[in-house]
Amino acid sequence: MPFAKLLSSLACAIALVSASYAQVPAGYPADYAKIVDGAKKEGKVVVYSTTDAKLVTGLIKDFEAAFPGVKVEYTDMNSTEVYNRFVSESAANATSADALWSSSMDLQMKLAADGLAAPYKSPEAAALPEWARFKDTVYATTFEPIAIVYNKRLVPAEDVPKTHADVTKLLTAKADKYQKKVTTYDVEKSGVGFMLANQDAKYDKDYWELVKALGARGTNMQSSTGTMMERVSSGENLIGYNILGSYALTRAKKDPSIGIAFTTDYNLVLSRLVFVAKNAKNPNAGRLWLDYLLSKRGQTITSEQAELFSVRTDMTGKDSGTAFAKELGSAVKPIAVNNDLLTGLDQTKRLEFLKQWQTALGRK
Amino acid sequence: MFDPSMTTRGISIPRTTVVAITALVIFMPLGLIFWQSFLNAPFFNPAHRFGFDAYAFIFADSDFWTAFLNSVLIAGAMVVIALPLGAALAFLLTRTDLPWQRTIEVLVLIPVFVSPMVLAFGYVVAMGPVGFYSLWVKQLVGDVPWNVYSLFSIAVIAGLTHVPHVYLYSSAALKSLGSDVEEAARVVGANPLRVALNVSLPMTMPALFYAAVLVFFLGFELFGLPLVLGDPEGHLVLSTYLYKLTNKLGTPSYHLMAAVAVCIVAVTFPLVLLQRWLLKTAGKYVSVKGKATRQKVLPLGGWKWVALAIVAAWLMFTIVVPISGIALRAFVDQWGEGINLADVLTLDNFRGVLDAKDQVRAIINTLLIGTVGGGLAVACYTAIGLASHRQSGGVVKILDYIVMIPRAIPGLLAGLAFLWIFLFVPGLKELRNSIFSVWLAYTVVWLAYGMRLISSALLQIGPELEESARTVGASGARVLKDVTIPLIRFGLLASWLLVFMIFEREYSTGVYLLTQGTEVIGSMLVSLWSAGAIDQVAALSLINIALVAVGLAVALRFGVRLHE
Amino acid sequence: MNNPVSKLVVENLHLKYGDNPILKGVSLALNPGEVVALLGASGSGKTTLLRSVAGLEQPNEGRITIGDSVLYDSAAKFDLPVEKRNLGLVFQSYALWPHRTVFENVAYGLRLRGNAGGDIDRRVGDALSNLGLGALAKRLPHQLSGGQQQRVAIARALVYNPPVVLMDEPLSNLDAKLREEARAWLRELIVRLHISALVVTHDQTEAMAMSDRILLLNFGKIEQQGTPEEMYNRPETLFTAEFMGSNNHLPGKVAQVADGKALIEGEGWRLWGAARDELKPGDAATGVIRLERTHIADGAGENRVRTELITDMFLGDRRENLFKLGALRLRCYGNPPRGNGECFLQLQPDDLWVYGTSEAS
Repeated sequence: MPFAKLLSSLACAIALVSASYAQVPAGYPADYAKIVDGAKKEGKVVVYSTTDAKLVTGLIKDFEAAFPGVKVEYTDMNSTEVYNRFVSESAANATSADALWSSSMDLQMKLAADGLAAPYKSPEAAALPEWARFKDTVYATTFEPIAIVYNKRLVPAEDVPKTHADVTKLLTAKADKYQKKVTTYDVEKSGVGFMLANQDAKYDKDYWELVKALGARGTNMQSSTGTMMERVSSGENLIGYNILGSYALTRAKKDPSIGIAFTTDYNLVLSRLVFVAKNAKNPNAGRLWLDYLLSKRGQTITSEQAELFSVRTDMTGKDSGTAFAKELGSAVKPIAVNNDLLTGLDQTKRLEFLKQWQTALGRK
Repeated sequence: MFDPSMTTRGISIPRTTVVAITALVIFMPLGLIFWQSFLNAPFFNPAHRFGFDAYAFIFADSDFWTAFLNSVLIAGAMVVIALPLGAALAFLLTRTDLPWQRTIEVLVLIPVFVSPMVLAFGYVVAMGPVGFYSLWVKQLVGDVPWNVYSLFSIAVIAGLTHVPHVYLYSSAALKSLGSDVEEAARVVGANPLRVALNVSLPMTMPALFYAAVLVFFLGFELFGLPLVLGDPEGHLVLSTYLYKLTNKLGTPSYHLMAAVAVCIVAVTFPLVLLQRWLLKTAGKYVSVKGKATRQKVLPLGGWKWVALAIVAAWLMFTIVVPISGIALRAFVDQWGEGINLADVLTLDNFRGVLDAKDQVRAIINTLLIGTVGGGLAVACYTAIGLASHRQSGGVVKILDYIVMIPRAIPGLLAGLAFLWIFLFVPGLKELRNSIFSVWLAYTVVWLAYGMRLISSALLQIGPELEESARTVGASGARVLKDVTIPLIRFGLLASWLLVFMIFEREYSTGVYLLTQGTEVIGSMLVSLWSAGAIDQVAALSLINIALVAVGLAVALRFGVRLHE
Repeated sequence: MNNPVSKLVVENLHLKYGDNPILKGVSLALNPGEVVALLGASGSGKTTLLRSVAGLEQPNEGRITIGDSVLYDSAAKFDLPVEKRNLGLVFQSYALWPHRTVFENVAYGLRLRGNAGGDIDRRVGDALSNLGLGALAKRLPHQLSGGQQQRVAIARALVYNPPVVLMDEPLSNLDAKLREEARAWLRELIVRLHISALVVTHDQTEAMAMSDRILLLNFGKIEQQGTPEEMYNRPETLFTAEFMGSNNHLPGKVAQVADGKALIEGEGWRLWGAARDELKPGDAATGVIRLERTHIADGAGENRVRTELITDMFLGDRRENLFKLGALRLRCYGNPPRGNGECFLQLQPDDLWVYGTSEAS
């Protein structure tokens, strides 16, 4: 009897272990099973994200299939709302996100700098390029080039700019045609817009000439990519500057009016950053989600279904960042995930930049 | 306003409780905003310090002053446009023999119940640089003669969409005007036009002043319209400036937003007080009617067609144009210059809405909040109304003033304040994620409006009806239960329907309370608009309009008079 | 003060609200300097008639003229607008414009007629002092008492010397005590200023006190018209008899008719009265006698009834007694005899008017 008992408990143990072993993704260390089990016990992962829920339905389904028992509670909001809620809730010790996945790179870095991100070395970290990880806490998950969009019906091929200088030239030379027909981010209203403008100023020595041209042409300043693309598609605007390429590509799939151009002098690349919250109620589930986002499996789905190019160095297919980077060569300038992004959030420096921008625009 | 002839002594404890709760839900958000404006960081940030930094910043920001000036200009323009039109419309519909009066009366009130965001968006799609109507006109005359994004257009559109507010108050005043004073003028020799100018107009002055103050005040709070139409050319008003502060410094600057909110309240609250004072002054113009004589309508003769043309033009511009714009946009997948409409008709946008779980949830939540939430809100307003029914004295006066306060706070900030309250007040955390938080925010923000509905229903009851019940032996509470409430049940029903429509079109209050599970159509529209998902916005807007239209139809079917 | 040739004539006026006839062919004439009272119960059409003359109601048929001017003529499809009729109208509710001072209320009519400023001042001043309102010129209506408001309304109607003044229940809004004083004062004013007035009232005492002639209206038709004495002492119909004065009613049946007199009997009584209709024995009839003509008798006798005293009421200047005669209640003035409550009442045949009634009554 005692022997039978021993055998059965051994059998149970083996069964348990093999069961958990079966779900540890390939290539992960064995003790990852602890995280998986922990996640299953927690039962769900709360994700605050800026990525449209529609785009990630496939991703969520696959995650839940890969890790049965862990439900994804996904809330998509705009980047300020993500920040607002997370900060307020953390301060109040209320239930909040386990993982934050936002395209607002500077805000994500601020949250990390404020100690709200949990350090976690992801097993997938090695597959990411240098610029894409910060102190094993914050990780870039996508590779999204910034694009110039134009209305294919109304903009002739020779007008399509190939460099940033081309943009300035076009707007100055063909003033009549493009008067009030250009749109871009309002850098005061849009955090992303501000960040991109900051980066532009870094790489483009003639950036302020471009801004002057934008101002002279009475450019429409908007606060979201969606509205800009809507206006370009309808022909209300002919050119959209500093548009998120991923959105443009998704839209272009359905909308034959949208044309996309990348610049050869330099082309910024944005990424959506993810981290696990320090005070996450479901920390294991959070880590599971983070790793999944960075895994080949997850990246394949995001790049195929959501037009968010993969960021892993070992993915080279058609929707991969690596392939895109190869095409544009050295022009590709991914925005690095580090504390440089915080300078834009310094109040004095920010206001200074804004003032400079407004003056160049000729608005004040 | 309150009849002091009967004081009830029986139910003071529940009354005090009601007043206390009301005061609490009003002053907490306001107090929070006030306090926040005097800090230099979010109040929950341990590094915050007391100071005037926030005010210093906004007063030094030229954008603030531009926004302030624009708000004043637009509010003023709105009064200039809406007041004459609304008064004229009221006169035409109550005093003349204009044909189709019943229908026009209903149509005139539509803009009140359509969300301004939806209307603004409709104008972009209909009359924007490549809007449907713009392109047709361009084909005819070669150019688009208007710019829907200019400050002028915003002011004009805002003015025209607020005509119904002026109309409501003017027509109520005209209807209660004793016909004998006008007949007396005619008998001494004044022709109908002189009667209108020398008698009817001066006697409705208090109502017109009240309406003017209301429109100016609404102009200050304008959010959806300038958000959509002001962005492209950068025209700011105070509320959009506040919204912009969300991003200007990189991280949301609550203290700045609170400071701006305090500035807005500093302007709107005196206006609210002014309104109250005007209401009291109007009392002395109440005419004592003789025998009920039928009001003789003024025959318009040939002028009938001119009047109809003006009314039709207003209806066309204010209702038909934007709504047709949205309707069209909801049924196409692309639009603009060079597109043939017939090629792009589709139902995909609606399918997209139905596919998106959060949007379906938004529709359901909105319906719930409108029907169940509306009913609960009316119950609360009734409790508050009954607490001060037939009372005079300190408590009631306090209640009278404090219910006005929430009106003065922009919906946007009220929603944010409620988010903080739910987060930080112990015990409320669990309720935050439920739709209860949205419901509470709505109920408080619309407190003044709901109270007016209830108190006008209560005013209809002659005090003798309740007094007779007391004399046969009913206690104060029983009187309420057996006499008062049954007598106002029709008024309660009407209030419920009106609150339903208001809650349906609400959009700014829920913006910060939006979480998974508490989405409502209004705030979904704001976030979808910001994300640029215009086709969804159009489809969802159309659904929203349909819901409101159903509510309106039900209301009319029950004979609810919308003029209260 | 009046235009001497301004006789107001109303011919055969008909007015319907939808299917509901209000005036069924009313004619009247108002001579210059005359005061005619339009008397009747609610719904009789008296106010509608007054307002039709003013132009505030739309008749369906008929003619209204004043002197040589035609105000309304259905045959010619002519209807002069209100503001051109130049009549004065005093509303029951006074209808003073609350946003204007007393002076402005009265002056408005003159301003519309284009009078010069100095002229207006003088004439308004006269009108106000005529009515004892001189000191109140700068007040607003809500600062005045009811009586003062009434006088302002009258001043307003008179100031531009209209040929006819129309008054709608001028005294009904006043307290009972004031009413008595006011009707004397109003009569004096009208007489002194030689005003032609058409006055609507439901109070027969008021009508008799104020007017030269009374038109009694009954459901849109004129029941009888005449001087106050004629109406009071020689009523032609039961309606008129019952409307005027305070009466005792004795419903019964005609037993005999002889010589212009009729013997009417009821339960426990029979009396001779003056036959005012064509009566024959067997007809249902009602006897009407004024209270002041009913006397307390010392005992049984001719044309007397035996009644029982129920109660008496002290009215200050006299006693009014209530008697029971079977199911009937009779009242009269005077001191009832002491005793067991039995009392005989004397009803003289000439004072007891007998009218025929339809079966239903």
